[in-house]
This record gives sequence, structure tokens and C-alpha cells, in this order.
Amino acid sequence: MCRGGRMFAPTKTWRRWHRRVNIMQKRYAICSALAASALPALVMSKGHRIEEIPELPLVVEDKVEGYKKTKEAVLLLKKLKAWNDIKKVYASQRMRAGKGKMRNRRRIQRRGPCIIYNEDNGIIRAFRNIPGITLLNVNKLNLLRLAPGGHVGRFCIWTESAFRKLDDLYGTWRKAATLKSDYNLPMHKMTNTDIGRIMRSQEIQKALRAPKKKIQRRVLKKNPLKNLRIMIKLNPYAKTMRRNTILRHAQNHKLKEEKKAKARAKLADKAPAAPKAEPAAKKAKTAKAAKPAAKAKAEA
Amino acid sequence: MHSDDVVWSMLGNRQFCSYKMTTKTQNFCRNEYNLTGLCNRSSCPLANSQYATVREEKGRCYLYMKTIERAAFPRRLWERVLLSKNYEKALEEIDENLIYWPRFIRHKCKQRFTKITQYLIRIRKLTLKRQRKLVPLRRKIERRENRREEKALIAAQLDNAIEKELLERLKQDTYGDIYNFPIHAFDKALQQQEAESESDSDAEREEDDDEDVDKREFVEAEDSELSDFEDMDKLETSSEEEQEEEEEVEKKASHSKWKGKTPLKGPARRKRPHIEIEYEEETEPSTKTKAA
Repeated sequence: MCRGGRMFAPTKTWRRWHRRVNIMQKRYAICSALAASALPALVMSKGHRIEEIPELPLVVEDKVEGYKKTKEAVLLLKKLKAWNDIKKVYASQRMRAGKGKMRNRRRIQRRGPCIIYNEDNGIIRAFRNIPGITLLNVNKLNLLRLAPGGHVGRFCIWTESAFRKLDDLYGTWRKAATLKSDYNLPMHKMTNTDIGRIMRSQEIQKALRAPKKKIQRRVLKKNPLKNLRIMIKLNPYAKTMRRNTILRHAQNHKLKEEKKAKARAKLADKAPAAPKAEPAAKKAKTAKAAKPAAKAKAEA
Repeated sequence: MHSDDVVWSMLGNRQFCSYKMTTKTQNFCRNEYNLTGLCNRSSCPLANSQYATVREEKGRCYLYMKTIERAAFPRRLWERVLLSKNYEKALEEIDENLIYWPRFIRHKCKQRFTKITQYLIRIRKLTLKRQRKLVPLRRKIERRENRREEKALIAAQLDNAIEKELLERLKQDTYGDIYNFPIHAFDKALQQQEAESESDSDAEREEDDDEDVDKREFVEAEDSELSDFEDMDKLETSSEEEQEEEEEVEKKASHSKWKGKTPLKGPARRKRPHIEIEYEEETEPSTKTKAA
């Protein structure tokens, strides 16, 4: 009917569920998330509709903490032009895909703005029924709400006292955090991150050599033993050497020729009486014979 | 300026950017202020704090600019300048507004402006021509209408109607003398005429019998009350009644002959042959009770 046996590696409740993270790392993360929430580019890239809000970071006065009615809260969001974000949440309400439907996770929707307050005088109850909104107390900021999905840049609306408290909570670089025992903001790796601007600055440009705009391409190798110019490029003295040899050859050749001419003249003088035709022919022959013989002798 | 590189290093590679659309070969940027439409370091409106675009609204082109001074105020971030309708002048305006700006942005703004003017011209040209509107067919309705058309065609019995009409005209001598009749049609017509005359006499006899049997009969409601009144008038004099009888007989006969579904119009607008020939000479018209 069905096979027997147990499953491989049965799942146990005593699996190690929790991980510890260093406190400094956790605080570093929160600082990064808060910093990112102040950059319009990052908040927009996360998908929040903040095209029309007056300012980022958006700080509202403390009266908001005393709101009791959701209607007031909605009116506030509409006046701040943050309602577009809520509309986006409404548009994104849909059914989950997958088995989560039957595991009590049926409906999903987008995250909207995050309201950060200092003291709850009714603000929680005013805002909590608006879809997408999360409420956070400044003293207990939650990274999972500030960077949902692991991506920084959630749209945050601060109340004035909450915003002022950040200084005491995390410190400025000049003074340490008062509400934490021993903490100051993490130091930058670079204070000025605009690398382009740095590179174009006078201080650096002055110290650089001129740029090489010419492109060196591969040169075809030519044989210096056959190609005189390439030889000269490698060894400039080869030019004079070659020149000297040529001149020397020319000189030697000239001397040789002179000698031969002399020898011929001598022979012609010696046998003038002999019949000119025969001796001429003979001479010619002998001369011809003699010449190569003489040359051979000379060369040897 | 300060955070551009940091922002780009996050949006370009690591973090999610909601405007980025990736395809197999290229990345696009869905941001409405993007100059080129591509997701690049130099085209990203989020990663460049000094940026400009050209956008058109209702046929007019605007130059949008953003500078780093207003980076923290999203509501007034984009400053817009209306460009003139004249193409060359608009190019000059772009140059003048973006003087000292990076070459890339100036060039791309002008390119985009050119493209926009070109498509606006095309839109205007197209609206002058007749536009074809595509209307989708509804399958169920089409099928239903076709079937009804067929049925109506059958119901009209065009052949019979045409035949009758022609015979009528023949009878009325509109055609004068015709010598080439189709034989079968002629014979059929003759037969029909004989049948008509027979059925007339039959109908009379039948109706007389019916009247003797029942004097009071219930009749359906009629369309025209006028016809009743007409009848009432006629009934008073006996001679007229006779005439009326004949008329009504004829009408009834014609009614019995009529087989089609289209209602015959005229004074005899009754659904079934009514036995109104109750109007006898001797007896007064019995109380007509209109069927409710």
C-alpha cells in the first residue's frame, strides 16, 4: 500500500533558529538604513511615490502624535502628498501565489510609508488601520521595518521630537551617543565619495603627466639582415659600415681593372710582329684564356 | 554629486531599482524623466544630480532640469522651460539653458527633442487622414444575427410574393397582351384561381351554418376599434349589412388563403378569422364581450 520508514533528516523543533549578530554591526545597519531613507534617489528606486512631497526627510510637528482619528491621519497624508504611496499599496493588494495561501498567509500587499514617533498619544491608533503604514518608536527602531526585504530606502515620516532624538540616540561624529553607553557613528571610508570630481580637481591633475592619445599598434617584424633600414634602426653604425664596404669594393674593382688593362697593354706590345690576324686571334684566345687565368690567380 | 557614485553603485548592480527593466540584451529605465530610456550610469535620473530631459505635453515640448541644490525637495526638484514651436529656435534655447552642462546631456536633449518633434508631425499628419477604427466582432451576436437573417429570408417567401405580385399585375392588364407564358406557371395560376372561387362558396356555406348554431360567441380583442364602429354603422340598414357580409366574407376568405407570417395590413387586421358575420339581418348584434 505505502512504503515504510521515516523521512530523511526529520525536521526538529530544536533546530538553531536564532543567530547572534554583533551589536556594532546591528547598529551600523540601522545607521545605514536611516541614512538611505534620507536620499530621494534610493527611496524612489525602492518604489515609493514621493515625487510630490515637500522635503526629504519629511518631518512633521508633534501635534501629529496626538491624533486620535484615522480621518485626521488620512487628511495629513493627503496634505503631505504621501497619499499616492498609499494608493499604490491599495493597487498592490492581491492573493499570494503558492501554498502560503493555505497556511494563513493568503493576502499580500506592498509596504507603504513608515511613521516614526517619539511618544504615543493616539498616533498609533490613528494610523494603524491605513494599509501599508507601519509605526515605529524612535527608541526601538527595527531594521526589518526600515529596510524591508533587505533593501534600504523606505519612505519615513518623522515627528519633530523623534527626529531630534536621533542625535542623542546615535550621536554625531563630534559627540558620542548619550542614550547608548559607548557608541558613535561609524567613520566613513571616504568623506568625499565623488570620485569623478576628485579626479578632475586641480591638485591631482597637476601631478599627472600628459595623456597618451596615440595608439601603438603591432608592427610587422622585418628582417634586418635583408632590410637595410630596419638594420639601421637597430644599429646605426651599420650605415657607415655598409657605405665603407661599398666604397672599398668599388676601389678594389677599379684597381683590378687597371691592372688588367696594363697587363693587356703589355701583351699587345710584346707581339706586334706576329701576323695580326692569327696572333690577334691567338691573342684574343690567349688573352681570353689569360684573363680568366689571371683573374683566378688574382682571386686565389 | 556627493552621493551619485554611491547611489549608482547600489542601483546599477546590487540593490533593486523599481524603474529598471532587464531584457536579455539590454537594461531599460522606466523613469519618466529618463533621457535615453536606457539604464546607464550617465542616463539614470536618480544617479545624476545634475540632469535634464525634454518631454512633451499636449503637443508642446518642455525642457526639464534638475540641479543638486534642490535635491532634497522632491516637489520642486524639476524646473521646466517651455520650448518655442520653431525647431531651430528651440535648439538654441536648449543650448542656452544648458550652457556649461556636460556634453552628453546637451547632445541627448537635442536628439530627444528632434525625435519628439518628428513624431508630433507624424501625429498631425495621421489625424488628417482617415483613421481606421478596428471594431471587434462579437461571435455570439454574429452567429445569432446570421441565423436570424436566414430565417427571415425563408419567412419572407420572396418567390411566392413575387409570383403573386406578377399575377396581380397580369390581371390588372399592366402588361397588355403577352403571348409567351411559361406553361407550368400558367397552369398553376389557373388552378389557383379555380380553387379560390371554390373556397369562397364553401366559406359562405360554412359561415351560415355556424351562425345558426351559436348566436353569442366570444371574440378576441381587435386592434382597430374603428373597424367595429364601421361595422356598427353598416349594421343598421339591412341592405348594407348584406354588402358588409359579402365584404367580410371576402376578407375572411382572403384571410384563410393567407399563409405567410407577415401581418396583412388594412381594415382586416385580425389574427384569426373572426366570426363577426354574426351581424345578421334579422338579429341585432349580440353583445360582444372583449376577451380580457
